[in-house]
Amino acid sequence: MNAVLTILLSLAGIAVGYGVYAKSLDKNVIQPDDSKATPAKMYMDGVDFTPANRNVLFGYQFKSVAALGPIVGPIVAIRWGWLPALIWIIFGTFFIGWVQDYTSIVIGVREDGQSFGALSYRFISPRARTLLLTFIYFYLLLIMGAFGKIVGYDLMTNPGVPLGVLLVIIIGLIAGQMTYKWKMDIIVTSIITVVLAFVGIWLGTLPGVQSFFATINGGESSPVLFGTVTQAQFIWSLIVLIICYFGATLPIWRWAQPINYVAFWIVFLGILGGTIGLLLWHPAFPADFPAFTNWSGDLCAATDCSGIEKIPGAIGPLWPLLFVTIACGAISGWHSLVSSSGTARQLEKESDALYVGGGAMFLEMFLATLSLLTAVVGVGATKGFAGYVSLVAKGKNAGVFAVGLSEMMSHIGVPTSFGLPYGSVFLTLMALTIMYLVVRFMRVASAEFLGETYPIFKNTTFGTIVALVLSAIVIWTGFWVRVWVLFGAANQLMASLALLLVSVWLASKGKNYLWTFIPFIFMFLTTLAALSMTAYKVFSQVFEGGLAADKLVGNVIAGLIAIYLIIAALVLGWDAMEAFQRAKANAQSEA
Amino acid sequence: MAKSLLSSTSQRWLTRGKKFARAIGDFIYGATIYEMVRDLKKERASLEHLFILIVFGDILGIPVLPPYYTLRLLPYVVPNMSTWRRSMLRERDLTDLCDQDIT
Repeated sequence: MNAVLTILLSLAGIAVGYGVYAKSLDKNVIQPDDSKATPAKMYMDGVDFTPANRNVLFGYQFKSVAALGPIVGPIVAIRWGWLPALIWIIFGTFFIGWVQDYTSIVIGVREDGQSFGALSYRFISPRARTLLLTFIYFYLLLIMGAFGKIVGYDLMTNPGVPLGVLLVIIIGLIAGQMTYKWKMDIIVTSIITVVLAFVGIWLGTLPGVQSFFATINGGESSPVLFGTVTQAQFIWSLIVLIICYFGATLPIWRWAQPINYVAFWIVFLGILGGTIGLLLWHPAFPADFPAFTNWSGDLCAATDCSGIEKIPGAIGPLWPLLFVTIACGAISGWHSLVSSSGTARQLEKESDALYVGGGAMFLEMFLATLSLLTAVVGVGATKGFAGYVSLVAKGKNAGVFAVGLSEMMSHIGVPTSFGLPYGSVFLTLMALTIMYLVVRFMRVASAEFLGETYPIFKNTTFGTIVALVLSAIVIWTGFWVRVWVLFGAANQLMASLALLLVSVWLASKGKNYLWTFIPFIFMFLTTLAALSMTAYKVFSQVFEGGLAADKLVGNVIAGLIAIYLIIAALVLGWDAMEAFQRAKANAQSEA
Repeated sequence: MAKSLLSSTSQRWLTRGKKFARAIGDFIYGATIYEMVRDLKKERASLEHLFILIVFGDILGIPVLPPYYTLRLLPYVVPNMSTWRRSMLRERDLTDLCDQDIT
């Protein structure tokens, strides 16, 4: 197998999936009608409801749906071998991923631009909305836990990374000042700030700076502060939470927007550089990198782990865990929320829905494939499979991407001494730009749920601090792999519920619903099985004893969240199935 | 003949190239500045809506007594009135906030 062949395979998947399967369902089932006024035109207010050019909307949708999930997920899923991961990325997107994103836009467009909360209230049951909202809160908490650990434990503890990240944040703030206060031209602002950001990342690689941050970390082997948390992990995860505090409480134009803007260019140029480098390099897959390891994702059963200090355990069976581990690379529940409340309200014509929703998801599939290649050829070609295993054993899952990307970029002349911290800053920024928005959501959600009973939750600072304290508990106590699996499962479960809602809607209109209903059944069973297994695993570890105090707390929290998500999903599923029967009966009686 | 065919072909490719470049430009705009523009519009709209609510809140049944001077503002507010009413009366929940990047 060759890297370029993998890219071609993924492009072929896009050509057939988008050009044949998606277009035929769009034409025959949804039957878009451009003479119908979309909510963007009907309720145009120039703000929420406003028609936008389809290419602009495509960029907006892609930026909104692609983040850390499709990058880290495939790298973790390689524990079962690269082949199952690649198959799920391509076929998951082909049969399920785009279906969910596209139909979420369609239902929003055809139902007056209503969001998923309102739609679940109308089409399923009143309590469905409440359940969905609580579900989202826990989902957000899991994002904080999973991403917080990646940044605070994995990326920022590398002494070559923190200065670059902190300088990019400061440069982002300067970009905001230049744009909004000094009214400078956006192109000039972009050039100045992006160049400064690159210089900032380079400064972070200087030996003096690295030794300074190594001292802060407490040396090569950072001392343990409490439980299993080391000084470096504690300091950097705390700093990450402080950054999130500012991102969640300051006006969006002052903090989140300009930093996201500068971060976009770093990410975009990284992806571009990595892709071009990979094409020029066109390496074959290393012979020692297994296409399939084993059913339990046990790396040490596939290679010799005798030289590794901390042996990585098996994640669990390929089904269902691989399907939730890849997360947004194949399908993601968050996309349905973005599609219905954001994109559907800006669609100029009904026929644009497939291009925007389906197209962005297929592009995300391409990103996930590239991420897979960073591990398989980027790391595999230089360090071999043992190199990948050793990085994973050190908890450097995101580090795998940074190493792979730097290797790819070295083929366009970027030295790995710069490429490695660049890849880490790239991922850190990707995570941070999401995390402070997540804290914002958590704050709003707690104000909505508890604000009437406990008015203090309406206070911005208090709501933010509560969200950050809960996030800190998950970050400092949970096992990363379990938190990631829970995050993926919650994400995919939300996707399956979105598919169910769309199926109910299609049934109520008397249309063919099998193409959304079958994916729903698969995803619903898969995610419930993944959650049940995770809950069983974490509780059995608790009852077996021998866990450190922090991990004991983390496992109990993870188990309780998993159980809550299962119960909420079953109740929602039950209500939705009743609504489904009603919708089918109504459609038949009308016919 | 061959020359004109060549020039029409190159013209077609040039047009296609321009279209493609424009689409790429729009894509990058959508992924970068577009949300900033939307957020600024949202901020302005929420201030305008607040102003109309304070001055003409009685239209929605909120007992704000309209002083004489508000009538002088009425002609300026009329164009925004239907949008304002719809926006104020539209039911919202947490999922309405999800049109930002998050996953």
